[in-house]
Amino acid sequence: MNRSTKKKVVGVIRFFVLAFYLLLVVLPIYWMIVTSFKTNAEIVNAQVITYWPKTFTLDNYKGLFSVMNYGTYLKNSLIVTLSTSLVVTVLSIYGGYGLARFKFRGKGVAMVFFLVTQMIPSILVIIPLYVVFSQMHLIDTYTSLFIFYTVTNLPFCAITMRSFFERIPYALEEAAFVDGCSRGQTLWKVVLPVMFPGIVAVFVFAFIGAWNELIAGTIFLNTQKMWTIPIGLKSLVGKYNVDWGSMMAGGCLALLPTALMFIFVQKYIVEGMTAGAVKG
Amino acid sequence: MTKNKSGGKLSLQTKRKLQPYLYIAPVLILLLIMFGYPLIKSIVMSFQDYKLSRLDKVSWNNFQNYISMFTDKSFLLLLKNSLVYVVVAVIGQFLLGLGLALGLNGKFRGRGIYQSIVFLPWAFSAFVVGLLFRWSFNGEYGVVNDVLLKLGIIHEKISWLGTPGLSLAVVIMAMIWIGIPFFGINILAALQSVPEDIYEAADMDGCGTFRKFFTLTLPYIKPTIIMTILLRTIWIFNSFDLVVIVTEGGPANYSQTLPSYMYTQAFSSYDFGLAGAFGVLLMVILTLYALIFLKITQYDKAGDF
Amino acid sequence: MKKRVVSILLASAMAVTAFTGCGGGGGSSAAEASKTSEAGSAAPEASAASEAGSAAASGEWSREFEGTSLSFLDVAPSDVRTSYYEGIFQKFYEATGIQVEYQSVPWDDAANKLTVLGASNTLPDVMTTWNGWLGQFTQSGWVIPLDDYIGDTVSEYTDAVVNILWESEKTRYNHIYTVPDGLMVKGIYVRKDWCEELNIELDPTKAWTYDEYFDLVEKLTDPEKNRYGASFRGARGALDPLWVYLQGYTNGATFDQKGKIQMTTDECLTAFNKWLDIYRNHWAPEDSINWGFTEMVDNFVGGLTGTLINDSEVAATLINGMDDSQWTVMPMPTSEKDGKIYNTINAPYAYTISGNSENPDASWLLIQYLTAAENQAEYCQATGEIPIKKDASGLDYYGADGYYGVFLQEMNDETLAVPTSFGTFDFTDLHQGLFHEEIQSCLLGDQDAKTSLDNICNALQTRMDEYMAENPDAGIEVALTMKGQ
Repeated sequence: MNRSTKKKVVGVIRFFVLAFYLLLVVLPIYWMIVTSFKTNAEIVNAQVITYWPKTFTLDNYKGLFSVMNYGTYLKNSLIVTLSTSLVVTVLSIYGGYGLARFKFRGKGVAMVFFLVTQMIPSILVIIPLYVVFSQMHLIDTYTSLFIFYTVTNLPFCAITMRSFFERIPYALEEAAFVDGCSRGQTLWKVVLPVMFPGIVAVFVFAFIGAWNELIAGTIFLNTQKMWTIPIGLKSLVGKYNVDWGSMMAGGCLALLPTALMFIFVQKYIVEGMTAGAVKG
Repeated sequence: MTKNKSGGKLSLQTKRKLQPYLYIAPVLILLLIMFGYPLIKSIVMSFQDYKLSRLDKVSWNNFQNYISMFTDKSFLLLLKNSLVYVVVAVIGQFLLGLGLALGLNGKFRGRGIYQSIVFLPWAFSAFVVGLLFRWSFNGEYGVVNDVLLKLGIIHEKISWLGTPGLSLAVVIMAMIWIGIPFFGINILAALQSVPEDIYEAADMDGCGTFRKFFTLTLPYIKPTIIMTILLRTIWIFNSFDLVVIVTEGGPANYSQTLPSYMYTQAFSSYDFGLAGAFGVLLMVILTLYALIFLKITQYDKAGDF
Repeated sequence: MKKRVVSILLASAMAVTAFTGCGGGGGSSAAEASKTSEAGSAAPEASAASEAGSAAASGEWSREFEGTSLSFLDVAPSDVRTSYYEGIFQKFYEATGIQVEYQSVPWDDAANKLTVLGASNTLPDVMTTWNGWLGQFTQSGWVIPLDDYIGDTVSEYTDAVVNILWESEKTRYNHIYTVPDGLMVKGIYVRKDWCEELNIELDPTKAWTYDEYFDLVEKLTDPEKNRYGASFRGARGALDPLWVYLQGYTNGATFDQKGKIQMTTDECLTAFNKWLDIYRNHWAPEDSINWGFTEMVDNFVGGLTGTLINDSEVAATLINGMDDSQWTVMPMPTSEKDGKIYNTINAPYAYTISGNSENPDASWLLIQYLTAAENQAEYCQATGEIPIKKDASGLDYYGADGYYGVFLQEMNDETLAVPTSFGTFDFTDLHQGLFHEEIQSCLLGDQDAKTSLDNICNALQTRMDEYMAENPDAGIEVALTMKGQ
């Protein structure tokens, strides 16, 4: 009896905790979505704040596509982000595996260097890189962003991948070696399938990092046909005013691909980090 | 054949030695090229009179950048703001993230969809979140004051972005909001890797829930927490976008942090020597922090490094 | 009330005529008018203007650069601007055989982007710029002087361009570096309907003083109705309108001819205090201490504040967001000291040729094309700016019988004087930091007004002293008028 009341209490507490987080997340998003369906006059009205559109309008969304080339930005963002996340994932697999499975000279230094890369203020990286990129004629290309996003996301992803590998029992690989597999074969055929959730998690990390990046985008890209979504949204901030309706509509649309992705991968993201441990 | 074999044996040893490097070489080389050059460049710049508008007149300037940085009359305020910002934001993210992870640790109906929703802030760009917060916390037409007034929590409008202290608080709230899922996900993953059997033993000993949490769960997930806090601190400390977007550092620098000040200064005076000095200072602070933090938390003993 | 509307219409009609017919701007002499008669027989009617424009446009464009390509960077892309430029570049290609690549960067990031482009010698051929950046751009050779290109064609431009904008550039940078895309002046946007409710008579054709303006701000404030008198600006740019007000006490100058700052007088301190009282007396929302442009405009449009001091360019936003019956424009107040109207005239996004351009001649052709009467007219119609060429100034102006009438009237006012900038030196970092930080410190009560004003003056004086030591022959800016000096 004592035990079951305790369970009930825990259940109730958990319900309130979960409800709290849901509100915390949903309220701002609700506000964005509601705003995106309002007319501009209603949005800036300082005397009355409406919590549901008085006049429901789709103009903000229509405007994004008809006058703002949102479709093009979406395409650019997808190209850059997907290629970045794929390459980051593959490189992280090798880097993470190397760091997790071997003891070698300079490993500590390498780890420290990974940390240091995270400490350099981004503008001090972007400006010298711009000079290099412009000499290589990479400005205003997908390649420039692809390279930049890859290197900025790589350290964290490699470190994370390493911790996944460490949770997978080495015995798994040893068994494969006994069967005559090389290390490379073992990695791909034996380890990675077990790691699948972890790989998905790293992919998502890289995806989000690249999807939302703004500053390098504005510096490395020149023409509107190359812009990514964040730059397109930034251009809605004018000298005198912000186009709130379009901004919120654009913000919602920018969130859509990641939100859809979350629905499919959320269980992997969490599982990814637990993989191996189940068996350990 | 024989020759080959013996050669093969030798090379097998060399291969063994080289193997680790082959795995991490692509990553390391890429990072060295792309970060090494800017890193060295920033350090060199910080000792130079380096104005982007006068690149023909770059010269060594006797620590002048460091002198102007430390004698800037806002310096202490900026340092204080940065510390408040990073400490409150990291602690806030950590505690709320931990709460979320504990809430999610267990099965319940609709968990999949619930997770996809509460992870969403992580998917937002800081720019959109910044604008959303700046607009919502506007003292006059912001939705936050309106809600608080209607709920009777406050009785007159609060000037969030116009009051020293509060303006920084809004930036911190925005930062915490974005960062909760990241902590939540990491801690949740760690929690789920805690083997059930250690609890079983504890249950037999008759441990309470709280004691179980502190004596068993927490030590087990400690490496994850340490690494997450470390990385998050570095990111938050260096991030300036929210400050620039939400408050522009105002009023009167009360919400300005070192990186946001550096960013504004760098581009308004083109003085990348000074920006370099700020950059070096930030990196020194963070390196010291990382060393001390790892030492105190005994990360190397707790796990792997 | 009807009478008032009629009087506005009448006045603006007169103003437009004055502006149109102006061989030489506000009240120019006959001699001046005849001097410029060639281009400035000046299209008394819109149709004549466009005829002249198309005559210039058709067939006469040189094709000597056929096959070259240019890059053009716009720093304030919007759907209106983007579609205008894409259209005009197509026409330019047909006329000259020069291909133009349209590049753009969001306004908010434009300054940073140009910095990076400039530092790496990769600036586009032609770029739009904001005058606040020119100090740095000229210093580092990122833009080239246009004096030789302009040469004789100077007579084609309106007096506002020649006697004010270019005159000012010559004093500050020794050369002309920009061709304005259009012009804008400042005015005070006022909630017409609130005034009517309170029986306040506003007559835009009559000069008014700052004290009258402050009075209006006080009257429009009504906490019961959640109304404030002014869209106060405490964040970046806070000093801009305030400085112009102070310059009403210093003949429009910042420094005297010996290079000494002029704002240290008691008069200026009193004025400084009066201005800050708008905030301290709660005639502006408490929040406005950290407002920038966005909040100022949003809150005026949204019905929280009763007045808004801003550029004529903002009218476009108000037209979209408000009903015509809600707002009107008043001219900037006159100086209490000398009765002149001190008001800034600027080009929002002036054309410049970059120092990295490999083909400055073709770039100049592009600028000429963009500012040719017909294209100017189209551009100014789309963006709500005032034309820079005499033969384009007669166009049938959208809104000229209402709000635009006031702006045109301001430009034609004989007492108009354009005050100097903060200095001939580079002050971007002060503008982005110290200026508004000092004002905010004072508004927060951290320090008194005298300390704030002194700190601002000292910072400027230090810059000026350094600048004069480095450039002993440099000229010192004075306020400019349409008539020239």
